[in-house]
Amino acid sequence: MLTYIIKRLIQFIPVFIGVTIILFALQNIVPGDPISIIGGDRALPPAVEEQLRISNHLIEVDENGEPLHDENGNYVETPLWKRYLIYMNNLLHGDLGNSYTRGMTVNEIFAQKYPYTIGLAVTAICIEAVVGIGAGLISAIKRYSVWDVIVTLITSILVAIPAFWLGMLLQLFFGIFLRQVTNGAFYLPISGAGGKMAEFPGWVYYILPAITLAAVSTAYTARIMRSQLLEVMNQDYIRTAKAKGLSRGKIIFHHALKNALIPVVTYIGIDFGAMLSGAILTETVFNWPGVGYEIYRAITQRDWPIVMGGVTLIVIVVMVINLVVDVSYAFLDPRIRFGAPKDQS
Amino acid sequence: MPIGDKKREERLEEEVFNKLVDGSDAALHAHNEAHQAASQVEPGGYYRYVDSEPEHHNDFLTTYDDVVAEVDSDAPTRTLWSDAWGRLKKNRLAIIGACWIIFMVIIALTADLWAQQLLGSPTAIDTGTAAATQLQPPSLEHPFGTDSVGRDVLVRVIYGARVSLSVGVIATAISTVIGLVMGAIAAFYGGIWDTLIMRLADIFLAFPYTLFVIAMLAVIGNGIQNVFIAIGVLGWPSIARVFRSAILSVKENDYVDAARAMGASDGRIITRHIFPNSVASIVVYATMNIGGAILTESALSFLGMGVVPPNPSWGIMIQDGQQYLATEPWLMLMPGIAILTTVLAFTLVGDGLRDALDVKMKDA
Repeated sequence: MLTYIIKRLIQFIPVFIGVTIILFALQNIVPGDPISIIGGDRALPPAVEEQLRISNHLIEVDENGEPLHDENGNYVETPLWKRYLIYMNNLLHGDLGNSYTRGMTVNEIFAQKYPYTIGLAVTAICIEAVVGIGAGLISAIKRYSVWDVIVTLITSILVAIPAFWLGMLLQLFFGIFLRQVTNGAFYLPISGAGGKMAEFPGWVYYILPAITLAAVSTAYTARIMRSQLLEVMNQDYIRTAKAKGLSRGKIIFHHALKNALIPVVTYIGIDFGAMLSGAILTETVFNWPGVGYEIYRAITQRDWPIVMGGVTLIVIVVMVINLVVDVSYAFLDPRIRFGAPKDQS
Repeated sequence: MPIGDKKREERLEEEVFNKLVDGSDAALHAHNEAHQAASQVEPGGYYRYVDSEPEHHNDFLTTYDDVVAEVDSDAPTRTLWSDAWGRLKKNRLAIIGACWIIFMVIIALTADLWAQQLLGSPTAIDTGTAAATQLQPPSLEHPFGTDSVGRDVLVRVIYGARVSLSVGVIATAISTVIGLVMGAIAAFYGGIWDTLIMRLADIFLAFPYTLFVIAMLAVIGNGIQNVFIAIGVLGWPSIARVFRSAILSVKENDYVDAARAMGASDGRIITRHIFPNSVASIVVYATMNIGGAILTESALSFLGMGVVPPNPSWGIMIQDGQQYLATEPWLMLMPGIAILTTVLAFTLVGDGLRDALDVKMKDA
């Protein structure tokens, strides 16, 4: 097991280097000098601009920290590979650099934004697990019944629905329509955690965004749950249990469910990683101050340190969670042992 | 596994083999020897026949192509596709989905002939009448109402179908072609190529997808052509994976070994044996992928990163409608329903094809 984990961690390295190189390349193909567009129409004072270039390692400096000039009096640009090495060195020391536009370090920005994203992801995962597994179970146990048809229909629709549109539909129904119908007595806030916090207790703001974020994955969870349970119910040990005369409920909940749940739990785990990448669309619709929207905003404003730092963080988080999911797979299913001559995964 | 075609291939190779045997004992002996000498255990643990000189076979028998041509001439009329069509016809949901797609395609293709005459321009803003015609609720004259600058919402939904369908099809075509080539190289040549390509796929898949597409568009600029490129280029890794594993499973079959032993070139084995037997999974995957590409395009346009206004795109229309959510909800409802039904149609057809072609897919 330990060998497997180490092997996986070593496999991270090329992927991680590849990701950072691609990001670095992207930001340097973008037309326009990022520093000169910070001020918008007004040019920055030359001293400020120079300081920004130095602090972001865009130009070469001498040992006193003064910028070097070539024979024409222009700055000497730091070569790309050197900037990449400086970036990676800082990254390994936990420093993601400074934002061009926010006047904060990238570390500070994500320390501020990540709690909102984590909160939303945890809420959404709870909804996904409870509703998805529940719906999948009903659909499999009552196969071909009205319930099965309803669940199948709803999951098909949820998979095809654009998340941002679903969010707006929820706003329309729970925020606007219900408010009108009940004369303002009952409704849900249509904007995210950035809204007036006095109006509702804090958790109420999570309801609609979390449903929006969870919708598609809940549909997949229900589908996987259904197909897995139906598959497990065909296996020999279930037939043995039936032959023994166990009740249907006991067979399903004591014998079948445990095995059927393994792929479901794996899916939910990987999905949690994906949700921690931030949900740009959900966050945009609900004005939610999370990492997805922050990175999106940074891309549109060419604030590359935030983009680099944010995506790097996300990639690390997703990789670690996927590793945890794979390792926990072995604990959930004792048949799987990593490192054996032939992996059964 | 595409049963029909595989059966046909097996029958074909069997006949080829019989004809070889009928030739002469000496030829059979030579054939077997070449077979054994050429086979070797690969690091992966399977047998692989190294291509021996094709002309060698000419000495003792007809060529591979001759035999194939002869056997092919009495090929059965029941093919994989006619079998699949027979099963697909019975799937009511898939047929409804297919009808909806055909309907949308016809509307999108013929829009220039009638839509503008009936409903007005989808893009032009008539500043003179805009104030009078803006934000009208649905009526006979404007079945879906009008938007904030007086344009008919229905005609914009119709022209939006062009954008969505073309993005779906073209982006999927781009990812499929790249994915096929990459997957074929990785699976067929294995070794260092496999490692390189699959690592590259891992790198692409490690990125948060939507953010990656947005970053790519920030680099190459907005506009529909760039949306094709961004979605198309970033979609290859999953198709490469699907195709790679399809090839790996097809490659294990005896008829591939037989073809190789008879001196078929790599190109011929890929195009004549491996591709036809993995095409089912590619078709299913591509169909589902079209729906996904349409969703991505709408999301990009919604964020203001995709199609450039005033061109109509369903995503842009929903974004325009957002500020009128409380008062004129039809502005965001209609394009949303268009996205939902179109993507749903592609999913239903994809599901139907998957069942009809009997393709095993990993997720539900």
